[in-house]
Amino acid sequence: MSIPEEIDFEVDAEDLSEFKPNGRELGAPSLVVDDLYVTYRIFGGKRVAAGQGRPGVLKRVLNRSTVHMGGLTSVEAVRGISFIARHGESIGIVGVNGSGKSTLLRAIAGLIPPTEGSVYVSGEPSLLGVNAVLMGSLTGERNVMIGGLALGLSPEEVRAKFDDIVEFSGIGDSIYLPMNAYSSGMSARLRFAISAAAVPDVLMIDEALATGDAAFRRKSKDRIDAIRDEAGTVFLVSHSLATVESICARTLWIHQGKLVMDGPSTEVCAAYKAFVKKQDG
Amino acid sequence: MRAVAVASGLRQMGVRPPVGEYVRSVWARRAFIRTLGSAKAYARNQGSYLGQLWSVLNPLLNSIVYVVIFGVIVPTTRGVNNGIAFIVVGVFIYRFFESSVSAGANSLKGNLNLVRSVHFPRASLPVSTTLTELTTLGPALAVMCAIAWLSGLLPEMEEVPITWRLLLLPVAIGLMFVFNMGCAFLVARWVAITPDLNNVIPFVLRFVFYGSGVLFSIEHIVKYPVISHVLAYQPVAVFLNLTRSTVLDEPSIPLDWTMWVAGAVWAVLALGIGFLAFWRGEERYGRE
Repeated sequence: MSIPEEIDFEVDAEDLSEFKPNGRELGAPSLVVDDLYVTYRIFGGKRVAAGQGRPGVLKRVLNRSTVHMGGLTSVEAVRGISFIARHGESIGIVGVNGSGKSTLLRAIAGLIPPTEGSVYVSGEPSLLGVNAVLMGSLTGERNVMIGGLALGLSPEEVRAKFDDIVEFSGIGDSIYLPMNAYSSGMSARLRFAISAAAVPDVLMIDEALATGDAAFRRKSKDRIDAIRDEAGTVFLVSHSLATVESICARTLWIHQGKLVMDGPSTEVCAAYKAFVKKQDG
Repeated sequence: MRAVAVASGLRQMGVRPPVGEYVRSVWARRAFIRTLGSAKAYARNQGSYLGQLWSVLNPLLNSIVYVVIFGVIVPTTRGVNNGIAFIVVGVFIYRFFESSVSAGANSLKGNLNLVRSVHFPRASLPVSTTLTELTTLGPALAVMCAIAWLSGLLPEMEEVPITWRLLLLPVAIGLMFVFNMGCAFLVARWVAITPDLNNVIPFVLRFVFYGSGVLFSIEHIVKYPVISHVLAYQPVAVFLNLTRSTVLDEPSIPLDWTMWVAGAVWAVLALGIGFLAFWRGEERYGRE
């Protein structure tokens, strides 16, 4: 695959205002990602180089022992990504599995510290992911309280928003059951409702819209639009290009931890589609 | 890039805040810490028919074991007037320390889902696990005092009267809570950076168990005065001494102000060192 010309992001603020999708006015920068690197420490395994023939017995034994003891691998999930996002912007992130999309979101949300480079954010960013279970053994109601408090709301604010959250998630009386008993769709909806309740400056959604029925998807799209209208920034990771194109004006394409393309959704999605097709065939 | 970020008043993510700011941000999350801590203690007993009744039944069964073994099978006084009360108090208080350390060691890993989905000062987690243990200790303390008093009715055991000294028990527990929190911070950081240490902690805790006089009085067992002195003033032994001096009526364990000072010093030292150590690793948690 050929990576297009490195795009120069060291641009003036005036040049950036060219991004004006759907005629929406964009505000000041809400997020600056500067040459970001994220490295994971993985315990319990080592990559074994393939295709080197069968090594001698002694070497094999020695290699084995390094796998079973001190099996530690560093994985560079994000390798030098830079971009600027603005208030009122919604940005899609596309890429094949394992390309570093979720890691990028987590680093932006401050959940994974960068190994190198830096991330600057306005306010407290909030990440919505389908993998993030809160506390399975506790009831939905307790989870709403814990989630809301963790996001920085006060107990009174959470109580005031409680009915809204339950109503939005549409899970009804099940809110008083332990979350272990929830279906994956129910817990994804509750998580979305909790995170969206805080109206963050920067909202990141990781595949969350893939779950839920059509009605819930429409509701969540409305909520995203509302957050964007309150001058927030929305990031959306999705494998559904249709979702990305319908919600986001701008799209980043990430491959092997690097930024391949950054531009209007229609263009980036078309290029990404062509790339995926070429890999398949 | 940096200039753009600074010009728009953005805040850098994933960097360690200064200590003062960090303390304030943890304090600002106190409602979160409290809710998480008590919810976990509550959830502990929820998966059964009797539910929350287990918070009392559990310590009750636990102490029955000691009453049967040390009161009926091997009646021993071990240089104290009421061996059962001595051991029950020792075991319950030691368990508070032990479970706080183990829970603190797992506080980051055990809440990885929370760590990976919401951004908050990570110091909230060791505090909330210690709080969970304190919440669990509450009903156990009531059982402990009841068993201590009841054991006085047995023929071989001396009476354990209820005195004004019992009012000092919450103070001793408060000091120990602060000390446990400091230890939880310390092990949380160690285990987060080097997971292997989690396998070593149980052995260290076993050393502490025998070196603190949980089942026997140190001065009656240890022959060398220097070692006996060192062991008596190590933190866990100090807290055992403080709680025993408030609950029991043993002439060999009087209320001793030097022990209270030692307890306060240990508590403050542990919290200070533990918190600073944890804070210094703040930007590294969650990279696994």
